[in-house]
Amino acid sequence: MKFLLFTLLSALLVVFLNIVTPYWVVMIALAVLAVLIRPSVWGGFFGGGLGMGLAWLGQTVYISAVTSSTLPDKMGALMGLGSGLSLVLLTAVLGFILGGFSGLLGVMFRNLVQKKRRDVYLG
Amino acid sequence: MKYISFLSVLILTCALGVLASLPFGQIPPLAPLLDPNHGFWQNSFSEDQLAEETLSLENLNAAVEVVYDEQLIPHIYAENELDLYRAQGYITAKHRLWQMEFQTRAAAGRLSEIVGPMALELDRMTRRKGLAYGAEKGISYLTEKDPATLALVEAYADGVNQYIAQLTDARLPVEYKLLNYRPETWSAYKSLLLLKYMSDMLVGDRDLEYSNLKKILGQVNLDRLYPEFPNENDPVIEKERIWDFTTLAPTKPDSLNYPEETLQLEPLAQPTEGTGSNNWAVSGKKTKNGNPILANDPHLSLNLPSLWYSMQLSTPTHTVKGATLPGALGIISGFNENIAWGVTNATRDTRDWYKITFQDASKKAYKYGQEWKPTEFRIEEIQVKGQEVFLDTVVYTHYGPVVYDQSFKADRQDVNFAMRWIVHQGTSNEQKTFMLLNKAKNHADYTEALKEYAAPAQNFVFASKSGDIAMRIQGKFPLKWKGQGKFFMNGADPRMEWQGYIPFEHNANTLNPERGFVSSANQHPVDSTYPYYVFDHSYEHYRNRRLNRELSRMEQITVADMKALQYDSYNLQAAESLPVMLNLLAGHGSASKEAQKYLADLKAWDFFADPAKKGQTLYSIWFAETTESIWRELMEQGAPVMRPNNYQTIALMSASPEDSVFDVHMAEGIQTAQYHVRVGFDSLLVAMKNWEAKEGDYGWADYKKTTIQHLVPNFKAFSVAGVNTGGGSGILNATGSRHGASWRMVVELGSTIKAFGIYPGGQSGNPGSRFYDNFIPIWANGDYVDFDFRKKEDQKGVLFKTTLK
Repeated sequence: MKFLLFTLLSALLVVFLNIVTPYWVVMIALAVLAVLIRPSVWGGFFGGGLGMGLAWLGQTVYISAVTSSTLPDKMGALMGLGSGLSLVLLTAVLGFILGGFSGLLGVMFRNLVQKKRRDVYLG
Repeated sequence: MKYISFLSVLILTCALGVLASLPFGQIPPLAPLLDPNHGFWQNSFSEDQLAEETLSLENLNAAVEVVYDEQLIPHIYAENELDLYRAQGYITAKHRLWQMEFQTRAAAGRLSEIVGPMALELDRMTRRKGLAYGAEKGISYLTEKDPATLALVEAYADGVNQYIAQLTDARLPVEYKLLNYRPETWSAYKSLLLLKYMSDMLVGDRDLEYSNLKKILGQVNLDRLYPEFPNENDPVIEKERIWDFTTLAPTKPDSLNYPEETLQLEPLAQPTEGTGSNNWAVSGKKTKNGNPILANDPHLSLNLPSLWYSMQLSTPTHTVKGATLPGALGIISGFNENIAWGVTNATRDTRDWYKITFQDASKKAYKYGQEWKPTEFRIEEIQVKGQEVFLDTVVYTHYGPVVYDQSFKADRQDVNFAMRWIVHQGTSNEQKTFMLLNKAKNHADYTEALKEYAAPAQNFVFASKSGDIAMRIQGKFPLKWKGQGKFFMNGADPRMEWQGYIPFEHNANTLNPERGFVSSANQHPVDSTYPYYVFDHSYEHYRNRRLNRELSRMEQITVADMKALQYDSYNLQAAESLPVMLNLLAGHGSASKEAQKYLADLKAWDFFADPAKKGQTLYSIWFAETTESIWRELMEQGAPVMRPNNYQTIALMSASPEDSVFDVHMAEGIQTAQYHVRVGFDSLLVAMKNWEAKEGDYGWADYKKTTIQHLVPNFKAFSVAGVNTGGGSGILNATGSRHGASWRMVVELGSTIKAFGIYPGGQSGNPGSRFYDNFIPIWANGDYVDFDFRKKEDQKGVLFKTTLK
């Protein structure tokens, strides 16, 4: 459940926050979200990854659909990647990696703090 | 353990975040580029999808309305001129910011900042030519003499800068994202620099080559092979014009000494063949509706984003429409409610070279007459991306900058040459000329506007609603004695100085000539009775004659006729030379089947360079190979020289095919023109064999491969290649592979003005927009878009409206 919730909230966070902030602020926000939601280690990684990756994928597909611009194809050719489709995938993969590690970082931080507290409590 | 895993994930995540924001060599930072909210994806939107009803522009006196028509041409309605130009700056930047910035960086010799060391030599050359130096002087001139114009240029700059200040990452032009830099502040200085850049694009000189040719050939042969006037001169100003003024032309001093050495310098880049333009106006007596019609098509390098940007500019007192140059104020080629005007390059050798004799290695003084004159040093600091600053010391004499010295392009020879060029003087006000033309109501206003204009010299064509047509060759032309400035001169001899300038009143011009039309196509300005020295190497010999023949012949002219004439692809050079060549060939090589096929193509050809014509392809290769063969020995003299022009070569081939110039000294026996025509034909067969094996079809458009190239040549995907269109160098539709009609305009000045225009590009500078290259197919077909005036309240054909306030 937490995994799904985290994935969904991650995606929403990316969609709304990324409009006004650069990607690295979104990364920090994803980590904070993971601290709050407390998904598992894997859940943090895949939730954050899927959240950001799918959000970016969705946005590129949306932009391509509403603009029918030739720019993605031109950029693909320019960067030696062939068609615009490869840029859609590259964007999604990059989003996944950045989001995944941000989520994981948040989980790791939470675990760190939690452990300390427990130690204090037990001690 | 938890600490270690946390720390490693922290380090890894930060590293990823940082790595994604860094460029690697030529690869731009990936995350900012791919981020769908800020990166290149955002550049996929076309302008109408991003339309805003109001935008904030400060410092306006009243709100400004901007109405875009369906071609994204903005129509700006302002209450006064300051608001108008502020809005022009803002709107131009909105659609063409990257290009404006890139072009002025090129003009300032600052490309290395963006692209790295590969541009360093180019930047050094640009700076040694002193374009920035000239623009700096231009600003001081405006500050002192014309603060009113300066205020308008500064309003434009403020408009550009307000746009830059509002620019979000999402809207940043994609070129910035790819090259990983940001726009910097615009300034009045940059607008002036852009006009200097146009001079650099349009002005060349062959003084270096002529100096060498004089040594190699001797004066007699030089004059014979490179005559200053052609046999059949068909000048800009009609031959019938009487020059009824007392000339100020100086007489040539006796016993002048020229520099002795054969020059091993690397010649400056010249305006490419095919750079030129046509313009003309026909009077009402030759047109069907009785209204004057004016046409203009400047031929320049074909680039994307296009050099031109269309606009209508309106205040309560004037309305003007046409083509602007992004970065410059007002309309450059266009029409208002009373007049129309257009420009072609008025080629003339106005750039000269002086050998400088320095007193010693410190270069602090140079010889001038009996004295030593002090020099000035200008240190050029060139920022190079990824490297240390490059410092280049340029020595300035009273003539101008020492372009060639031991540290630059003259390493094989210890020589110093200074360049004298009107661009360095800064005592001109080209920007004001265009602003006055925008408001001109009649011929007197037009003449008054041109008084301020110095460089690059242009043939300004004019037509008015009141029925006048006119042409004026305007620039600040130095007074020269016959032959002055044709060769590198001795800078120590004061007699070699320019003797002042041709007075404005003496610049060649004509108003309502008897023949009922005025025209120019970069040919000789005048016939030989004009009392000033007007030498240039690159005068046109074919487009002008074709144009004048057609205009003389035509009656009951319509706008459609004028459009067709701009698109005319008749190859006069081929018509005059191909029969001579076929005759000289006299059956040579015709045993082979291929040769028979090509000869049949050539003989069937009607001399029109239309896209599918094979004859044009075959002729162009055959003629090029023939002239290559004729002048090979001349070109291999080991010093920079250039060939006689095609017109002269053809004149020799047809009138005196046995002339000694055709003899090849290295070959046995005596060669004539026939030998070269046959060598050329053999080369044609080889070239065509390769072409047909590799490319197949050899129709003209498939062969010449017209390409409209993005300003960054590496960005091939942003270029449009293989445009199917006819024409070529020396043809009225001068569209070659990389050059051609960069803007076409036809205006009929009746009671309501009818106007048409087109250029090979689109209104948007954004490669992702549907308005980036949408004009190209229309242009390639010789069609136009409607350029009639629009009123603020017109509702038809509105793409969207924006209010600036």
